[in-house]
Amino acid sequence: MKMGTLKTLFAWLLWLWMSAVIAGAFLWAPLAKGFIGESSRILFFHVPMAWVSFLAFIAAAVWSARYLWGGRQPRHDRAAAVAIELGLLFGVLATVTGALWARVMWGAYWNWDPRQTSILISLLFYAAYLALRSGLDDENTRGRLAAAYALLGMVVTPFLFWVVPRITYSLHPDPVVNSQGKVNMESRMQIVLYASGLGFIALFFWIHNLQCRLQAHSERRAALQE
Amino acid sequence: MITGGIGWVVAVNLIIWTGLFLYLLRLGGRVRSLEAREAVEEGKRKP
Repeated sequence: MKMGTLKTLFAWLLWLWMSAVIAGAFLWAPLAKGFIGESSRILFFHVPMAWVSFLAFIAAAVWSARYLWGGRQPRHDRAAAVAIELGLLFGVLATVTGALWARVMWGAYWNWDPRQTSILISLLFYAAYLALRSGLDDENTRGRLAAAYALLGMVVTPFLFWVVPRITYSLHPDPVVNSQGKVNMESRMQIVLYASGLGFIALFFWIHNLQCRLQAHSERRAALQE
Repeated sequence: MITGGIGWVVAVNLIIWTGLFLYLLRLGGRVRSLEAREAVEEGKRKP
């Protein structure tokens, strides 16, 4: 089977997978206890988006390390930058869905809850990465400094995503794995949540691949025209 | 049995997801054709 056909097949499988997740999230999974109305269903999209955002930032750090110690190849620098752009996109989506849920449960979109504040800080941290990149013209300097900055994120991101929510008092519901290391969730909810997580991760890598190839193409085009 | 409100939410979500999916599928096809055209041009440039 040709590679292109295989990719298209995987894409359609992903369509089916995520369609099943959507149906499962609204029609099959039960409502969580202690939540107003149907608001707990947002969990099946909000949490995987936050996971993908975290994964994207960690992947960016790995690609940055490969750039710095793997022969300074532009494709690694590009992969890191695209991962951060997508991490920001998924992070903003997680924040917006979280704010919608907060409006229903807490009566206000934004409450400066430690969880909201920590994700906002991490998004600002990575927005600064993009600002840093756009401020540097020299390709090597940009690649080097951006990679060092993304590696710093390897310290900042786990702290903000995993440590802060577990050591501070927050109105936010327990993380999926709570501070006692347990998962307090009904089994059907867990199935939909993990399936959604896998689907969103596949979606991230698909978009990442397309964006990297598009950028590589425009860079080659620009180099030819110079 | 699907009740009215939640049925609409599922339908809207499926439409949004299908729209995004078809856009990405089409974008993938365009990227592939751009790369193929580039490979042909590259071949012509080589002596």
